[in-house]
Amino acid sequence: MLDEKSKKKAYERILKIVGEEHITVQETDKILNAHDAWPLSEAKIRAGEILQLADMIVFPGTVEEVSKTLAVANEMKIPITPVGGGAGTCGGTVPVYGGIQLDLKRLNKIYEIDHNSMLVRVQAGVVGIDLEEAVNRHGYTTGHTPTSLRASNIGGFIATRSGGSMSSLYGKIEDLTLGLQLVLPNGSIVETKAVPRHSVGPDLRQLFIGSEGTLGIITEATLRLFPIPEERRFRSITFPDVHSGLEAIRKIFRVGILPSVVRLYDPEDAALSFSMHFEFEEGHCMLLLAYDGDSKKIDIDEQQSLQICLDEGGVDQGEGPSKRWWEHRYDMYYPTRLTTGGYAIGDTIDIVATYDKLENVYHAMKEAMEAEDAVVMSHFSHMYQNGGSIYMIFFTSQPDAEIAWETYKRIWDVGVAACLREGGTMSHQHGVGLSRSTYTEDELGSSFSVLKQIKDVLDPNGIMNPGKLGLGVRK
Amino acid sequence: MIEPEKIAEQVRMCAACPKMCRHVCPTFFAWRSDAPTPHGRALLMHQDVVGTRDIDERGVEVLYQCLECSHCLTWCKPEIDIATLVEIKRRSLVSKNRQPTGISELVSLVKDNHNPFGEDHSKRNNWIKTKKLKGKKILYFTGCTAAYREKESAQDTVSLLEQLGFSVELTPDEWCCGSPLLRTGNQEAGLELAAHNVDVLNAVDAEEILVTCPGCYRVLTTDYPENGHELNKPIRHVSEFLKHELNKLPTGSLDGGVTYHDPCHLGRHSDVYDAPREVIKRVSGSPIVEMERTRDNAMCCGNGAGLRTLFRDYAKKIGAERINQAKTTNAKYLVTSCPFCKEMLDAQSDDTLTVLDLPEFVMMISKGRDVKTD
Repeated sequence: MLDEKSKKKAYERILKIVGEEHITVQETDKILNAHDAWPLSEAKIRAGEILQLADMIVFPGTVEEVSKTLAVANEMKIPITPVGGGAGTCGGTVPVYGGIQLDLKRLNKIYEIDHNSMLVRVQAGVVGIDLEEAVNRHGYTTGHTPTSLRASNIGGFIATRSGGSMSSLYGKIEDLTLGLQLVLPNGSIVETKAVPRHSVGPDLRQLFIGSEGTLGIITEATLRLFPIPEERRFRSITFPDVHSGLEAIRKIFRVGILPSVVRLYDPEDAALSFSMHFEFEEGHCMLLLAYDGDSKKIDIDEQQSLQICLDEGGVDQGEGPSKRWWEHRYDMYYPTRLTTGGYAIGDTIDIVATYDKLENVYHAMKEAMEAEDAVVMSHFSHMYQNGGSIYMIFFTSQPDAEIAWETYKRIWDVGVAACLREGGTMSHQHGVGLSRSTYTEDELGSSFSVLKQIKDVLDPNGIMNPGKLGLGVRK
Repeated sequence: MIEPEKIAEQVRMCAACPKMCRHVCPTFFAWRSDAPTPHGRALLMHQDVVGTRDIDERGVEVLYQCLECSHCLTWCKPEIDIATLVEIKRRSLVSKNRQPTGISELVSLVKDNHNPFGEDHSKRNNWIKTKKLKGKKILYFTGCTAAYREKESAQDTVSLLEQLGFSVELTPDEWCCGSPLLRTGNQEAGLELAAHNVDVLNAVDAEEILVTCPGCYRVLTTDYPENGHELNKPIRHVSEFLKHELNKLPTGSLDGGVTYHDPCHLGRHSDVYDAPREVIKRVSGSPIVEMERTRDNAMCCGNGAGLRTLFRDYAKKIGAERINQAKTTNAKYLVTSCPFCKEMLDAQSDDTLTVLDLPEFVMMISKGRDVKTD
């Protein structure tokens, strides 16, 4: 937290940049803006705790205002925590060391669509659903539909290296972002050119995608667009076990088929998600597939992938479960009486691994997490040619806050340790934030020092989102 | 009446939600901050309920930065009605005399003048021209906006009813329905108006009461009976009334498309969506060109629940956005079925989009047809 003199001085200087209406030191505003959707933050709020607060919140309206604000913060060595939609699940926007929360929601312009190149230029504060609806009007989709689409924004997508439910076909945000504008901690405005590919040194754009506000602030992006597919078709197949389901997925990608949705639910998750609505063998897994594109091409892809599934021991369940999931895909994001009652807390560790390690990671994590009093259910989703992600979903309910938060931490510790031990990577799309910050060094291994050296050069005063991504942790 | 335990459960769930409705919240649109959002309001109330933190002065302001439009409810899977919870909390704030000054001034205006505009009560509806016809007697509850700010709407309502053969009764003794007070937490003052209006309206010899303002409609049909103030005649909104007279309505053709704005109190709060559409379709001969956000997903005009009184520029910003949404349909006419919405939307529109209240629209068609016939 800032001392009163520094706080007053910073407030007066930044007020001149953004105007009185766009800066606040009110405690109520700080509380209402403090958190993202990190389950631990939400559980603590429900339990009556107040999270760490910023000293002030600034709402810049232009990139120039972002630049000038950062220059002041850098000069005064004030921590800056960027805030996008506040929908992240890792505590990335919690201002653990106070300072300034820089809220980008006013940067909400959607600029031109380049129909020839199928690109759209957009400011960081545009909410995902607003961009998707805007491009839909012109016959396009962004192809990026995370569950948080209604709440998260473009800057947050890019800063956390996020992925949508159809990333198997369209790619993750790092594949969808062609150009970036960002502001470095010293206030300089930097642009990376929007080109499909290049061979001019390392791709600096990728340095900032996933940097979680620790290296600079993303203010604008040029994103790829896709024509809205002629058809989206759904198919569902059950398998006797995880292994046969994963084998089917691996072989589907191996023959060159790219479904838009590929989700394999383990027996626990399949039972919870589908047994109320569909009849299928008890203890079996459920694979959901969707195909986007030209109907004739879908005919071929669907038949070929179905045959692969049947050869692996799958049972065709028609379009029902897959289509139902699509139509209700946002429902699980809403709170319920059960999940918000008492000291209940659940979360997801969205790991990623290659096919040779995926099953081992799954079994090792499940065993370790269940040993810590967690109910664990999982689905394999966001699958690719070389491997994919597992959503290790866990839930625990404890008699009091202290035990609940400790249990939650232990489940995370053993889950991530098992993941790393078996050769997985601890996040596919949610990012690091606070929840995984302490594991970052172990995850990156020898490359962590590279990241740290880059951080030290770009942000010598350590003002940018300290405590996140394993960087800038203060004693 | 919602039990305190239920309120606690609902604000807890809303405060724990990753903001699944925020993208449609008009005040989020206007402020672009997490404070004036359903989640922000719920979090304030949750912390108050569990004793973490009292609602401070800024918290009071945040609770009055709500249109009570219930658009969030359309997107809420657990069906948490933050508008109602905000209104209940506002009542508690008013009981402790903690409402914003602007709301206290509004209450005084209504108490002194029987309307929220501070206009002379004696001139409320005595200017409306009526004919003494022998048809079925309809008591037209004018409402403050039509009486003082949207006079064409009021006169067209009467002219239209008479054209349909009804005898229109007006009472100079009607007061503000109480909606602006009830929605801002001033229940006691609002119900005083209810008591007066029930006495006055019940004494008039008429077969039913017709209202054009959905704010009035909601309080007359819901708030009055819920609080023991029973009217002795059926109450109908003009859109439903005209729907029953569909075959008698004038018809004509227009030189441009028509889009329709659903008023929150008529649509989401009273579930009347089809009647105005059927009327518009019948009289114009063509279907409505719907906006993307329509029916229970329609954006509020920005006028409701004291927002215009307290935060005029932000209310206008919301109204201007609704006009932008209407313009994307390329319609030439934006019809609503609420004088209050009409006033806001008309003020934010320009020459390319004509904004009309439903009775005005029907009478415009009627006059057009007459011109052609002549």
